[in-house]
Amino acid sequence: MSVSTVTKEQFKSFVAALVDSDQNVVGVQAKDDKFAFGELTDANALRLDYDVTILPPKKYMLPQREALMNFEVAGAAESVQPDEKMVLLGVHPYDMIAINQMDELFSQGEYDTHYMNRRNNITIIACDVVTDSKNVFAASMNSATCDTGYDILLTAIGDAYVVDAATDKGQALVDMMSGANEATDADLKKREAVHEKNIAALNKHELECKPSFLPKLLEKAYDHPVWEERARLCYSCGSCNQVCPTCYCFDVQDEVNWDLKTGTRCRAWDGCLLTNFATVAGDHNFRKKRADRFRHRLYRKGKYVPGKIDGQIACVGCGRCVTACTAKIANPVEVYNTILETTELR
Amino acid sequence: MCECSNGNKDIYLPELCTITKRRMLNGTELFMHLEKDSGEDFDYIPGQFVEASVAGIGEAPISISSSPTQKGLELVVRNVGSLTKVIHGLEVGDKLGIRGPYGSTYPLEEAKGKDLVFICGGIGLVPQRSFIRYALDHRADYGDITILIGTKCHEMRLFREEIALWEERKDMTVMETIDEGHDCWNGNVGVVTTLIPKVESHLPNSQILVCGPPIMYKFVLMALAEAEVPQENIFVNLERRMKCGVGKCGHCQMNEHYVCQDGPVFRYSDLAHVPEAI
Amino acid sequence: MSKPRVAIFDFACCEGCQLQIVNLEEEILNLIDLVDVVEWREAMSEQSHEYDIAIIEGSITRPEDAQKLEVIRSRAKILIALGACATIGGVNKIKNNFDLNEVRECVYGKDAQMPHLNTEVTKAVDEVVEVDFKIHGCPIEGSEFAQIIRSLLVGKTPFVPDYPVCVECKAKETICRYEYNEICLGPISRAGCGAPCPTAGWRCFGCRGTVDDPNVEAAQEVMEKYDLTVDDLKQKMVLFNTK
Repeated sequence: MSVSTVTKEQFKSFVAALVDSDQNVVGVQAKDDKFAFGELTDANALRLDYDVTILPPKKYMLPQREALMNFEVAGAAESVQPDEKMVLLGVHPYDMIAINQMDELFSQGEYDTHYMNRRNNITIIACDVVTDSKNVFAASMNSATCDTGYDILLTAIGDAYVVDAATDKGQALVDMMSGANEATDADLKKREAVHEKNIAALNKHELECKPSFLPKLLEKAYDHPVWEERARLCYSCGSCNQVCPTCYCFDVQDEVNWDLKTGTRCRAWDGCLLTNFATVAGDHNFRKKRADRFRHRLYRKGKYVPGKIDGQIACVGCGRCVTACTAKIANPVEVYNTILETTELR
Repeated sequence: MCECSNGNKDIYLPELCTITKRRMLNGTELFMHLEKDSGEDFDYIPGQFVEASVAGIGEAPISISSSPTQKGLELVVRNVGSLTKVIHGLEVGDKLGIRGPYGSTYPLEEAKGKDLVFICGGIGLVPQRSFIRYALDHRADYGDITILIGTKCHEMRLFREEIALWEERKDMTVMETIDEGHDCWNGNVGVVTTLIPKVESHLPNSQILVCGPPIMYKFVLMALAEAEVPQENIFVNLERRMKCGVGKCGHCQMNEHYVCQDGPVFRYSDLAHVPEAI
Repeated sequence: MSKPRVAIFDFACCEGCQLQIVNLEEEILNLIDLVDVVEWREAMSEQSHEYDIAIIEGSITRPEDAQKLEVIRSRAKILIALGACATIGGVNKIKNNFDLNEVRECVYGKDAQMPHLNTEVTKAVDEVVEVDFKIHGCPIEGSEFAQIIRSLLVGKTPFVPDYPVCVECKAKETICRYEYNEICLGPISRAGCGAPCPTAGWRCFGCRGTVDDPNVEAAQEVMEKYDLTVDDLKQKMVLFNTK
């Protein structure tokens, strides 16, 4: 495995060659005045200087809607397993950390072949953040930088990238980059400086404790007034769930074709903030109150999911929910800080 | 199967089973006996549930009502929604997709040598029957068996012939009550909690197994607390929206617990810090 | 098994939702294979009193329409309200904000008092008879219509979302109108349309009505966060969500 340096021009030529190959290439591109991951057909459209994408890249491992199986109505079913290979370009560290968590959640216990096959078919070229977004707080969540999960990590240093190949798949791609030279100590120092800068800058909302303290903090916060205070403005629109890189709850629905004899069982994103998320047959809703649903999300991020993945906090500080929430109540840092400030007093 | 699945099976793919018997237990509850089309037998432990589906309609978690000491799988399905309505329309010979079994089990081993008290409200009797039948098939392994059954009204009573057979047995006690009195009913009238004082002396040293609608737990657990039953001896069988059954989809979560994995059977003392449970 | 007999009727509406059915083009051939359409004024001349499924487009604005609808209800096993006029009253309910005499005079001038121009408070179909299923939208979304019909034909309750349009906007990575301090009815409006309006840069007009439990109490405080007022919001709701 190598750490090398290429000029941005050389890197663009590499992306152009990749786009021209038969590989499926996905990268970050402008979408009006925002950014989104999408199929890349022109190397010039790739925007590795983006601040944040509207949706995280989880949509390539867990699509908004995907077929799980095809079936005969009232009969047998046949599994649909995704097998398309993809190069995913421009994953930020906080999203990389989220993907690492999802990989663990979908492979632990019962192994989810649908998610894992997609994941294993993706080669990830991550990149350190160049432009900070208005609500990012990755530094507070220890996810301003990342050191695992990607095949390649790019770090922009002036007019060049430090290209860190972490896997054989990544190395194979680096081997295709003409002009790649071994990174010098000076290059690595510059990369270090980028990391230091990001650890300081990606902190628009500052969590007043270490993230690892959150599970303990939440042990005392179940009946805190903050849930009702904030949730009374909640539209139950699930936007915070939808844009979250670590939300992975889903619903399953059957679709029948026009022949009424065949169809597809699909899964689609769901969200614990939506009114009927916990409703069972017979219409009993186990989380009927907005405040209960609102609290559940913040507990999942800070306590419940960490309990499943060795204490890793399931909020990576991307800030998407802060931006997406119409009522402006979703900011996890504000919630956790409110609890911190008032719980210490008690 | 795709080779990249590393030999892993698709956890969402149901196995086809055939309905070999069916009958209505009352106006809304359908009883079914199933056999796997593969010819294999079902492998489960009382307390567990399966995901039952009709391709094209949907899938839902259903408690297992039979005991592994018998052949095949028995389910009881209440006609409450789209899927269950279609299931109610199925005939003997029709197919049902089954995944599972999933979830935790009744404390079959731990309860050995101890007295068992089953408190069942409405369709709560359905999963309890799995352990009741198992215990009766291993009668020597367990102490006294007491079954308290509460049903809303006479017409809704489940497994009437089977309960009548249980009542005839000398080696178990069965008490039934209905919420609303009825001309054809000479038995107890009142909610299931009204039966608890009748067996109170029995309770502190028994394993108590509780299953019923959400509202029932609160009152039953209060009555058991009054009777000074240790929470470690109480097991509740909870219902949630267990959509995937494999701990992924999030629908059945109550606080940190996934009911499909940590439940549906919980030791009550383990739920002390699970406010969403009861 | 004989094919279900379907009849399509229209009351006060633009018939645009029926047009959406016609616009299904090739798919409509599949539909015709599966059902017997026995009455459909927009597409055929035959009529029938015997049908299993009645599809109703339009709102009810006259006493004779209410009577006709009740007869249809009594004949149909399943009654489906098609499109905003039928499901929520839709734009026809704007009229309910005014005095009915004024409305009549404004529209018909000197003929306003002629008996056949009698008009009443506009009602959605379910304000007159029991409705089994609603296909929302102005106009309806063809693919959703197809999904609902196929569901009914295999005997399953169709999936109709009870979550807001925001869910579909986010899934499509549409930029939220509130990011530009513009009012959008998305957070309280029923989804299922795929959010075409916000995706095209418009606000959500709320043509599918509100979700079952919209957070109305939040409106004032949330609007203030965007330098908007509840009156701004209410004004935008007049179009489709007049009571």
